[in-house]
Amino acid sequence: MESHPNPAPAAKRPRRRRELLFAIAFLLVTALLLHFAAAVLRPAQTSYGSTWSAFLAEPEDSLDVIYLGSSFAYCDINPSIVYEHSGLTGYVMGGSEQPLSITYWYLREILRTQSPEAVVLEATSLYFKRYQNYTQTNIVPMPFSLNKLGAVFTAAEPELRLGLLFDLYFYHGRWQELGRADVKKALFPHQWDEKKGFTPMNEVLEGVGEAPYVADRQVSGEDYANNLFWLEKVIGLCREKDIRLILTVNPSYTRCTPEAYASLAEDVHAIEPSVEFYDWSAMFEEIGLVPTLHLYDGGHLNQDGAAVFSAWLGGFLTGELGLTPRAQTAENTAAWQSCVAWWEDYLAQ
Amino acid sequence: MTFLSLPFFCFFPITALGYFCLPRRVKNLWLLLASWFFYLWARPVYLSLLLFVIAASYLTGRLLAGRRKKGVLALCLAVLGVLLFLFKYVNFALSLAGQALGLLGLTVSMPVLELVLPVGISFYLFQAMGYVIDVYRGKAEAQRDFLRYALFLSFFPQVVSGPIARADQLLPQFDRPHPFQWDAFRAGLFRFLWGAFKKMVLADQLAVLVNTVFAAPESYGAVQLAGAAVAFSLQIYCDFSAYSDMALGTAGAMGFTLMENFRTPYFSRSIAEFWRRWHISLSSWFRDYLYIPLGGSRRGTARKYVNVLIVFAVSGLWHGAAMTFVVWGVLNGLYQVAGALTQPLRDRAWAALHVSPEGKVRRLVQVGCTFVLATIAWVFFKASTLEGALAVLGGILRGPLWVPLSMGLNRWDLLAVAAGLLLLLLVDLRSVNHSLTGGYLALPRPGRWAVLWVLLFACLIFGSYGTGYDAQSFLYGFSF
Repeated sequence: MESHPNPAPAAKRPRRRRELLFAIAFLLVTALLLHFAAAVLRPAQTSYGSTWSAFLAEPEDSLDVIYLGSSFAYCDINPSIVYEHSGLTGYVMGGSEQPLSITYWYLREILRTQSPEAVVLEATSLYFKRYQNYTQTNIVPMPFSLNKLGAVFTAAEPELRLGLLFDLYFYHGRWQELGRADVKKALFPHQWDEKKGFTPMNEVLEGVGEAPYVADRQVSGEDYANNLFWLEKVIGLCREKDIRLILTVNPSYTRCTPEAYASLAEDVHAIEPSVEFYDWSAMFEEIGLVPTLHLYDGGHLNQDGAAVFSAWLGGFLTGELGLTPRAQTAENTAAWQSCVAWWEDYLAQ
Repeated sequence: MTFLSLPFFCFFPITALGYFCLPRRVKNLWLLLASWFFYLWARPVYLSLLLFVIAASYLTGRLLAGRRKKGVLALCLAVLGVLLFLFKYVNFALSLAGQALGLLGLTVSMPVLELVLPVGISFYLFQAMGYVIDVYRGKAEAQRDFLRYALFLSFFPQVVSGPIARADQLLPQFDRPHPFQWDAFRAGLFRFLWGAFKKMVLADQLAVLVNTVFAAPESYGAVQLAGAAVAFSLQIYCDFSAYSDMALGTAGAMGFTLMENFRTPYFSRSIAEFWRRWHISLSSWFRDYLYIPLGGSRRGTARKYVNVLIVFAVSGLWHGAAMTFVVWGVLNGLYQVAGALTQPLRDRAWAALHVSPEGKVRRLVQVGCTFVLATIAWVFFKASTLEGALAVLGGILRGPLWVPLSMGLNRWDLLAVAAGLLLLLLVDLRSVNHSLTGGYLALPRPGRWAVLWVLLFACLIFGSYGTGYDAQSFLYGFSF
């Protein structure tokens, strides 16, 4: 039989189409494998903020309050204790030294699955620089979405963007330390836990709590204006979604002067007068906090301090501000009660 | 722009897509603009020199068309040679002059000129020189089409680090249509990926060990120094052959065939054979444009050996403006002279041992000896000074056997590199008699996909890139 080294164009066309389909299939499978490899190699983020995998395990539209901000949010607020004293479900979705630009993209992403009544934003980030030290830790754990891309391109240092888009760039060297837990985390990315974004600090560092360190934080005019720009976007988003925005300054022995916070409140109210602003930085006694027992490092509360403050906060949110817990499924109520019990045991140890 | 960079991963698909989609009459223009863009990415000022070389050699070609004007050829070669000297060797020459004056008792502080070496200058100048010589010899036709000639010197897959193309081999390809061919495209991409594997998984990981040991040879034992020397032999092979694979793969994906630069050189049975299989485009350039004009082997044995030594000394200098490179080159020349002189003696010795000339034992011994000799020479290539090279070689002979000190890689890194080298060995063994890309294309689809995934994920997981890694520039890259 005679061979045809150059098949007729009509015969070539179906082959080309078939090859194209196979090429697309190959690229899709490769993308899936890459995604899986990245998920295995990416380190788990279960504390110190940005705990997206646990957050995404929360039932949709089940959270009453979202707590945002920096370490002052995730060290000071224990949502399970807030729930115990108010019935308000909540989650801390702050991140280490998180600038407001990232906070804005966090809130947008959070609102894809949750519809909180209020957002409590710890306001210290208004004094942060445009880029702080933990951009990578803040953005990498975000689920891939337009909001993550927004964070990468508007809130991250340009030199980090490649790694933030393709995080094997940061973490591929972890292959030497992989364990079963890393594979499990990739196979089951939504891992529920009792901490609800809270990070317990279990000690009082030496010398902490004897006298407060009061000094205004230094921030450049450009950075401050940038922070107010992103705050305005947060305010706009809350307004659009009919969410109460509450700005707080949590109790701290590393704080600014009352005048600085008053000035901050003025600037916030110049953007939106209805935003509620509370300076609790010096209210240790009123809340029931004992500085030598309840501070971790002067700036942040330890787990016992967070328990005291969270109990007080729960009362404040429902009593003073009139927030009301939404109805929960029996299953979720049981889950929250198990968290309360878990924390009682944990703190009693 | 280097092959393994994000800009290139954006640049190449756009360039290839444009090339395949544009009408034939503008394809070369598109490639030329793309090539200049690729080159401009390094530093805009470099392009002006490339344009000058293109213009000068093009005009020379036109002047030589059909006429054997030796003066024109000599003038062009002198201009190109002076350019290479100015940019690459002037500081080296000044320092040598300073040392020579010092020996005469004159203390002169020689200036150090702050010249930035234009990317790829050693490659495209040699390519231009080869072209004008070929036109003079009547071997290549003088180009009328300036655009086509400019593309010949600027073609982005090879402008930075070769292979150094020949006019009769590459220029005609710019006249052919090169429609999209699926097999050529995927074979090209496969070859690029294989190159990326050699660079990222092997060369750059070996570089960590090599750089650590060569930085302080006195701190390590003999086994470690010998290991580092062997590691450098493997590193430079993986590094440069990787670049060539990526260049050939990139060009191949668009339907162009560049000259093969490596044919498993470490399987060579002599240093002379090694140089026929290592950096072939450069070795053959020196053979055709230096060794043969010097008289080659036509003027007697003694003159032949002198010619070999001259060629290898120049080759050493081509690789770098330092005495270490000269010594490396001359050493390779001496190996060949010594090899030729001792050939009858060695043949008699083998015969006395009743070892078959083509038997496995003799082959293995010869391959092993060649590798050892090449490795000793590479020590001079790698070391930044002659003293440093001698410290490494001295440590191998006289030092303690082993010193408990980190060599920069942990056991997991070493395991990954060892596995990669084993794969390289298997592939190289197969490629002696089989085409690598042909073998790949002959695999059934699941096999092809598996091969691509293994290489891709090896690069992405075990490769040297990203945070915490020190990805190395190509050894034959921007400093040539």
